[in-house]
Amino acid sequence: MSPICKIEREMLEIVQDEMVMKDRIAALLAQGPRTIPEIAEALHHSSYEVTIWLFAMRRYGDVEEIGRADVDGYFKYELKEKPANDAAVGSEER
Amino acid sequence: MPTLDSKPLDYDVMIVGAGVAGMESAASLGDMGYKVALVEKNSSIGGRSILLSKVFPTLDCASCIVTPKMAAAAHHPQIDPMVYTEVDSIVRNGDGTFTVDLHKKASYVDFDACTGCAQCEIACTVAVPDQYNYDLVARRVAHIPFPQAVPKKAVIERHGQAPCTHTCPAGVKPSGFVSLVRAGRHEQAFHMHLADAPMVGSLSRACYAPCEGECTRGDKEGTVHIRAIKRYMVDRYYADHAVPEYGPVENQLATRVAVVGSGPGGLTAAFHLAKAGHQVTVFEAESHAGGMLRHGMPRYRMPKEILDRDILNITALGVEIQTGTPVNRIAELKAQGFDAVYIGVGNQKPRIIPIEGRELPGTEIQDCMRFLRETNVGDELPDIKGKHMVVLGGGNVALDVARTAVRMEAASVSILCLEPREKMPAHGWEVEEADEEGVRICAGGATKRLYRDAEGQAQLEYLKVGTIEFTEEGKLKSFKATPGTEQSLPADIVVLAVGLGPSTDAFRDELGLTPGGIITVDDQTLQTSDPVVFAGGDAVLGPSIIVEAMGQGRRAAFYMDRMLRGEAMDVSFGDTLEMTDKQTVLDTSKSWRPVAPVALPVRPPKERVQSFECYEQTMTEAEARHEANRCLNCGECSQCQECVRVCPAFCIDFDMKPKAMQLQVGSVILSTGYEILDPARKVPLGYGTIPDVISGPQMDRLLAPTRPYNGVLRPSDGKEPENIAIVLCNGSRDHTVCNPLCCRIGCMYSVKHAQLVMGALPLADVTIYYIDIRAFGKGYDEFYEQSKGMGVNYVKGKVARVEQLENGNMALSYEDMEGARGLKKREHDLVVLTVGFLPNTEPFKLYKGGTLDADDFDYVRELDPVSEPCCTNVAGLFAAGALVGVRDIPDTVLHAGAAAAQVATYLESARAN
Ligand SMILES: Cc1cc2nc3c(=O)[nH]c(=O)nc-3n(C[C@H](O)[C@H](O)[C@H](O)COP(=O)(O)OP(=O)(O)OC[C@H]3O[C@@H](n4cnc5c(N)ncnc54)[C@H](O)[C@@H]3O)c2cc1C
Ligand code: SF4
Ligand code: SF4
Ligand code: SF4
Repeated sequence: MSPICKIEREMLEIVQDEMVMKDRIAALLAQGPRTIPEIAEALHHSSYEVTIWLFAMRRYGDVEEIGRADVDGYFKYELKEKPANDAAVGSEER
Repeated sequence: MPTLDSKPLDYDVMIVGAGVAGMESAASLGDMGYKVALVEKNSSIGGRSILLSKVFPTLDCASCIVTPKMAAAAHHPQIDPMVYTEVDSIVRNGDGTFTVDLHKKASYVDFDACTGCAQCEIACTVAVPDQYNYDLVARRVAHIPFPQAVPKKAVIERHGQAPCTHTCPAGVKPSGFVSLVRAGRHEQAFHMHLADAPMVGSLSRACYAPCEGECTRGDKEGTVHIRAIKRYMVDRYYADHAVPEYGPVENQLATRVAVVGSGPGGLTAAFHLAKAGHQVTVFEAESHAGGMLRHGMPRYRMPKEILDRDILNITALGVEIQTGTPVNRIAELKAQGFDAVYIGVGNQKPRIIPIEGRELPGTEIQDCMRFLRETNVGDELPDIKGKHMVVLGGGNVALDVARTAVRMEAASVSILCLEPREKMPAHGWEVEEADEEGVRICAGGATKRLYRDAEGQAQLEYLKVGTIEFTEEGKLKSFKATPGTEQSLPADIVVLAVGLGPSTDAFRDELGLTPGGIITVDDQTLQTSDPVVFAGGDAVLGPSIIVEAMGQGRRAAFYMDRMLRGEAMDVSFGDTLEMTDKQTVLDTSKSWRPVAPVALPVRPPKERVQSFECYEQTMTEAEARHEANRCLNCGECSQCQECVRVCPAFCIDFDMKPKAMQLQVGSVILSTGYEILDPARKVPLGYGTIPDVISGPQMDRLLAPTRPYNGVLRPSDGKEPENIAIVLCNGSRDHTVCNPLCCRIGCMYSVKHAQLVMGALPLADVTIYYIDIRAFGKGYDEFYEQSKGMGVNYVKGKVARVEQLENGNMALSYEDMEGARGLKKREHDLVVLTVGFLPNTEPFKLYKGGTLDADDFDYVRELDPVSEPCCTNVAGLFAAGALVGVRDIPDTVLHAGAAAAQVATYLESARAN
């Protein structure tokens, strides 16, 4: 994939896809930690858009970074231990 | 100065805008003993400063500086913080006081109960850009603005009700279950649908989906396939749950309700009444429950096992259904001890028209309901193999009969109707599908007679319709057949599907009926002429659609419950928000990538006429989620109810309304701050097209402890940048964007960014491109020199263009104003544009009592910054902070203190007079 990454869609349009993309990202990370460019390549999506989805997942507790950035400056992200999916965040669980 | 005591005052002073300026003035005035209303349009006080990382030149943490001010303002006994509140108008009264109209926006969260636990936000299914992180990351529609919010309460953003949801007659919320399916939560999707309407499977098969007719995406590439999404959701749910997961409700009441008729309307009424705790018995004349869903709708579009499973949703609540039990007198039900009755007997009485030659031996004339009933509930199908059938009528029932007959190996099936094809009452797509299946459509023909031809074949002769007239509602008014245009169709069986009438004959003596047999009811409550008897569905509406009948069943249940509890009946039902303005949604999504609807899997016509198998198939999960993701989130909040489900404090209230207030105050301080220039206006600098060109406010967020990423990373791929450019004066001191002013703080906050980045990324190179550095305050020049000492590069040069390079980095073209001079280029992997600020012009609209003067740059004009700081041209109306000109936090605090002093002077001199 070319390193050139442009903003091709409006933020609102990109964030809307998160609800679908987050499960695809989670499925990929279930196989092992990955950097953002690795996720982008595997899912055939722009790494800019993956950044937006991934950091929303991080914000809501689905993923976390591991340790420090690698020599190229990239962090690896892994799934965070929590109930199977956030659909399980029900009042009974707490 | 007029006396302030002439009118009782609610507050001595109202402060509009609770940023640093507003909070500071409020605290000063509160300490002096004045009663202060502190109004903030956001859901937290704190303004822009609370979002900052650290502050120059001390590098104190912004939270440490601002949070105590927030706490002081929030908990001061003299200050009433009014968040999520907007001022509508400020008018100065003759006595020097002010009348302020304002409204508290509906937050849909009970602030008193909300604990700020954020469970609603985590569960919410709609993602939107987070303005508090300057769009670097997404938040949810239900959200707490930021971690240090005061008060720390959730709010829900709703922009009207989505058109699909607004349209559904049964009160189902398609926007909600579509949103849940998109998020992969089909179980919750099912449950939220069930809460509104229990016949989920039946609707997924046979609803004519008025929601899809209104869907905003329909104005783009095609409507969201809402019904197909529902079908996916219900099929998955029923596959996993053969029986409902619940039983009767705990709080059972002694009241008994009879429901007459087990169609969708009756069953829906029974469901909601049983949920409210009443003892419900359903009486059904036929041998099986389900009404038209059972007897009228062919299996190929309404599979009976789905209907059976739907009915379990109702009986699981303890509802008893007595089939084969016609009710002929309401009085008998009352005598049996029923306290209330719902009549949902439908509209199943066939209209019979005389046909000349109807006695023709060997020809059979049937009514449509008998034909459909026999094909739907008997163990054996009637034998019509090899026979020629003509169906009279052009509505949906005629289509159902004809399409059933082609599946029973009839020799031929024809439809004869008066209307031309494009005016047939049936849906166009249904006519198309019948056509594909081999039904012959003879539109625009009037029956003449039955006769037997020379070969002995029975024929139905008809004439072409010459003229035909319709009422304004599209109903047939009159027609004229043209003599001499006779044609014939082979007709061993003729089925009459020319209209159905209400099945209400039994109640003629007990209830008010129209001459046509329709039950007359109160439009609001659906109460009949007998106050304990309610009615709905086709018996009230005439031939309608299942979801209308369900809507009436639900409405009636609501009022029956109130009547049985002895509660007032003059309350409204289903009071909803206004429908979202579709055009606004279309404008917002104008540039979005087109996404074609998922092609619905349908069996080919040749295959589908071989059996009564459903001809539509269910989407896969991936297809359903893709299709659901075409939804445009018209109302922002999708009404998916996840927040309601998870909130441990039960504080979500979708019935909340904005609350208007009028307050009398002694004086007003405006402290509504400033606006940030959109850096995309400087097109050559690449903001908005190159992901790694970010703005100064975004950089502050990346450096803040509550940052959106796990560090200072580039947005394009999450890499730690190594070579960062900070470009000063974008859109300030800049006539190309009509902003000649120096922003006053850009230089210093950029020096702050440079220092903080060097702390966060010790190996990174940081270069600041500047025209000149304005470090005028105490300690500012030292701060600047300190950055140089840390290794920040300073390049005196105006950046003209930023371009993306093949390797993903950016080339900055700038005019070197020092050293070698001339045009130069340098490569960086992150570019920060220090943006200019703009005046906030909102206060000019708020002051309705005359004109509030602006200065030459459109900031609120201070009468004289030296001798009369904070005073506007309106006596008693003051301005504090960045509203009169952008300034840093120390200067804002000073200015706010001055405003407080001015207010005190004004109030005291008024009192003295
Ligand atoms: C990137 C960046 C970095 C900065 N760094 C620093 C720094 O390090 N040090 C420093 O001293 N300064 C810094 N500043 C400047 C600082 O943010 C301002 O000095 C300060 O926010 C001004 O306070 P204010 O109360 O006048 O306005 P604001 O903080 O803008 O507050 C105005 C408030 O009014 C509310 N409001 C607006 N309209 C209405 C209405 N009609 N009704 C009710 N409420 C309304 C707003 O929602 C807001 O809460 C920085 C600014 C930026 C953009
Ligand atoms: S879940 Fe309820 S209590 Fe918790 S933040 Fe949301 S509204 Fe408040
Ligand atoms: S109803 Fe759904 S979309 Fe709306 S705020 Fe609650 S969780 Fe979010
Ligand atoms: S786009 Fe979505 S929310 Fe809007 S009408 Fe269609 S389904 Fe409903």
